Amino acid sequence: MSNIHGKAYAMNTVSPMKPWKTYILRLGFFVWRHYKPIGNGLVQLSFIHFARWVVVPRYAFPRLSEQQPKDDLQYDYLFFFSNFNGTWNQYIDAFSAVLFSGLNLIWRWSEKFPGSVPVTPFKNFIVRGQVETDYYYTAYPHATTNDIKAAHRVEAALDNFARQTEGMPPAKFAEAYSQFLVKVQGDLGETGEAPVGT
Amino acid sequence: MSNQSGNIYGLTILSPIKDDPHGEISHSLAIRMYLQTLPVDGKGPFGKVSSTHMARLVVLDDVVYFGMPSCEEHLKSKYLIFESNFDGELEPYLKQLAAEAGDEVHNIWQHCIGYPGVQNVDAFVAYMKRCQVETTFYFADVNDKTVQQTLKALQTQSAVASFIENNQGKPPDQLQAAFVEFLRRLSIAPRPKPGSTKGKELADELL
Repeated sequence: MSNIHGKAYAMNTVSPMKPWKTYILRLGFFVWRHYKPIGNGLVQLSFIHFARWVVVPRYAFPRLSEQQPKDDLQYDYLFFFSNFNGTWNQYIDAFSAVLFSGLNLIWRWSEKFPGSVPVTPFKNFIVRGQVETDYYYTAYPHATTNDIKAAHRVEAALDNFARQTEGMPPAKFAEAYSQFLVKVQGDLGETGEAPVGT
Repeated sequence: MSNQSGNIYGLTILSPIKDDPHGEISHSLAIRMYLQTLPVDGKGPFGKVSSTHMARLVVLDDVVYFGMPSCEEHLKSKYLIFESNFDGELEPYLKQLAAEAGDEVHNIWQHCIGYPGVQNVDAFVAYMKRCQVETTFYFADVNDKTVQQTLKALQTQSAVASFIENNQGKPPDQLQAAFVEFLRRLSIAPRPKPGSTKGKELADELL
């Protein structure tokens, strides 16, 4: 299935918005970016590598030649692309449980959005708007976002430990090594193939 | 700029797909059939462009109708969506894509309107930019590490775990000697390639 590669899932959704509402959404994103980053909530979830929302105005679908038929749309369209770890159900459940207020502020401007809580109508809305991925690539298919963050912490701790213990007497080295183990023990989870999910 | 988060660039491209009613199969189906044959590991087109963290290709047949009271409407062209998350700036990335994965790029985008080929790199870059749509809000969880830095860190993490496991209970002098040797081997070890699933095996080979 092209939506899944290793531990990553590629989700694409598209939903129509009345053009006047896109101005409100753009303003909302501007505010979040500069004053209250929605990214904080996404960081809290900690299983999203990359995510983006793209508003394509009704007149802005690329038209590259006179031979290409001109689109005549009434709606602007909100695209959402996400690269996350875990299963589709886990993702939507977590989104609905943790980011419900933020999601409502983003998608409430889309036609027929039922709200992110309760989760069943929200899932139906996502299913309706989801477009399947035809090809999906990730540079680190066996690593989750938490694996990556943990790996960078281990590497930094190792560099630090190596610098501090260079030329140290063996007894002191063993003592520092024990402290190093305590520091990194929570970050040594093994990467590998993903469990089979639903 | 909303296309970027830290050092990561979020590229979104919508390329209109050719419509030929007299063709044996549609261009959109031809793209899908070709994509099914592409490897998804480092041998695929984006594995060759080593700054790519994650990328996808999606054929958008039409927009979605959610039911009354909204109006039903349709696109007059199908679009190839190219979504990529990569290190650095747009132009060098597109140039590298044309140079390193030219055959695959050509086999995919030859089905798109206005595609000029990859021989003239400047024309290719200009074409892709015409198809680019601005990202409205972009999020990257780790936005200050390159692909290479992340692959190296994952290899180090795996190697450290194996080192700890293999050196339990050793006297201090032997432990220290083993650690010095471990650092030496780690520094000269071959790095995992993008898209590879062999990070752990490479780390185990160090020990």
